[in-house]
Amino acid sequence: MSMSLSALARSPVASIVYVAIAWLVLVPLFRIEPRYLPPLPVVIADGISVWPDLVAGFWRTLIETVLGFLAGVALGVGFGIAFSASRIMERAFLPIFVALQTIPVIAFGAIVVIWFGNTIMAKVVIALYLAFFPVAVNTLRGLELVDPQRIALMKSFGASRLQLFLKLALPTALPNILIGMKLAVALSLAGAIVGEWFGDTVGLGVMLLQALYFEQIPRVWMLIIACGAMGTLLYGALSLLERRFVWWRAD
Amino acid sequence: MPDPTTVPAATPHLQLVNVWKRFGEEPQQTIAVRNVDLSIEPGAFVTLIGPSGCGKSTLFSMIAGLLPPDSDGSLLLKGKVQQDGAMLGKIAFMPQRDLLFPWRTVLDNATLALEVEGMPRRKARAKAEALFPEFGLGGFEQHYPHQLSGGMRQRVALMRTFLFERDLILLDEPFGALDALTRSMMQRWLLDIWAKHRRTVLFITHDIDEAIFLGDKVVVMTARPGTIKCEEVITLPRPRDPGVVTTPEFMAIKKELLAVVEEESLKTFAAVPA
Repeated sequence: MSMSLSALARSPVASIVYVAIAWLVLVPLFRIEPRYLPPLPVVIADGISVWPDLVAGFWRTLIETVLGFLAGVALGVGFGIAFSASRIMERAFLPIFVALQTIPVIAFGAIVVIWFGNTIMAKVVIALYLAFFPVAVNTLRGLELVDPQRIALMKSFGASRLQLFLKLALPTALPNILIGMKLAVALSLAGAIVGEWFGDTVGLGVMLLQALYFEQIPRVWMLIIACGAMGTLLYGALSLLERRFVWWRAD
Repeated sequence: MPDPTTVPAATPHLQLVNVWKRFGEEPQQTIAVRNVDLSIEPGAFVTLIGPSGCGKSTLFSMIAGLLPPDSDGSLLLKGKVQQDGAMLGKIAFMPQRDLLFPWRTVLDNATLALEVEGMPRRKARAKAEALFPEFGLGGFEQHYPHQLSGGMRQRVALMRTFLFERDLILLDEPFGALDALTRSMMQRWLLDIWAKHRRTVLFITHDIDEAIFLGDKVVVMTARPGTIKCEEVITLPRPRDPGVVTTPEFMAIKKELLAVVEEESLKTFAAVPA
């Protein structure tokens, strides 16, 4: 019993409870002005007051994030493979991608909205734009870790290029691809929210922009919690996937 | 067990004729392997010893088809000349490290070569499962490599090599990383397996005892650039039990080979870089 209690005390859920308690206690204790940090009950009450909007916004932003993330992962893994297969591809495209990453997402977002309008597609593309780079770089890095001696062994069995890739290179790279995906999922969420700022009617980003505009401080904090919850949820899902299916490390 | 020296008429299983391997261009050229002539009779167990860095592994890579020999020599398999890369898929090659795939179970590591050959997974597994008791791995089918000891991992790698059914097996210091006790058990076990399956074996080692204990013939390589220094036919009766290493016959062979190997090892120390 005491073992399980101490385990619970160290779990990620517990740390959320600690923060909540600190918030509950410290705000009245130090008489922090609501402008800087509103009391937690006020924030929660605000969330309940707009619950249907919040749920709809959460779903919309989640869908944009997940679609952008999946597209970004597909594109990132594809480019990572292409880079590792061809030095010329790497020389030609990687510098462009690095340069693209230095462009502020706001500038890029404006162009995307001109191209796609205020559609869900625009948000997905912005999320994709942020997500694919870490995936591409980590896929490339993972594929470079393939042991030349294992390649020689596979070749001595008469393995084809495709067999080499599927049976050796890809499993070797998977742990690194997962690292890229974990970075990408947080970026996708940021991309989806920024995408919503360019104009839409539903979504956490939309609500955030409105709250900032009308200076609804508790609403802003409530949305920060909602975004944090979504990010944690997605990251946690990836961690589970990793622990279940990609538990090995390149040796 | 037939004595390989009494059947010289048969075509050698593997024949190396004037095999060279040079790296780089003329002035700074490194010669890794020089003028190697070697023939291995079908079903023979040949061991190869030499000082470290003598080009043993380069020679092995060439036999495995992973590295083309220089054009002035040739490699013959059952009397047929093998062009560049033609040896790939024709011999069972086991490198020094076990090179197991960490994401595959022991069973799926063992069937790797069969899968590459296109055998359906089910059939390959059934075939491998039958060998598990013989390789001392019964009950470990669903374990992962990181859960096994070094000796067991090496046996999985050997099983993978054996399941890739080629008459010629190349083993590159397979027991080099094992402790002495495990090593001598593995040697006896390998001889049992070999006696049962009758494959031709070329076995690299840097351990003279191991070379004599296992081999029908011990081939000694010189210091770099590696070439064949001498060959010694081992006529010790088979099956060999571990006690054979203390017999006067064994000692006499060992003394002779030790002198040759020491001479070569000293050369690698004395060598002054140009």
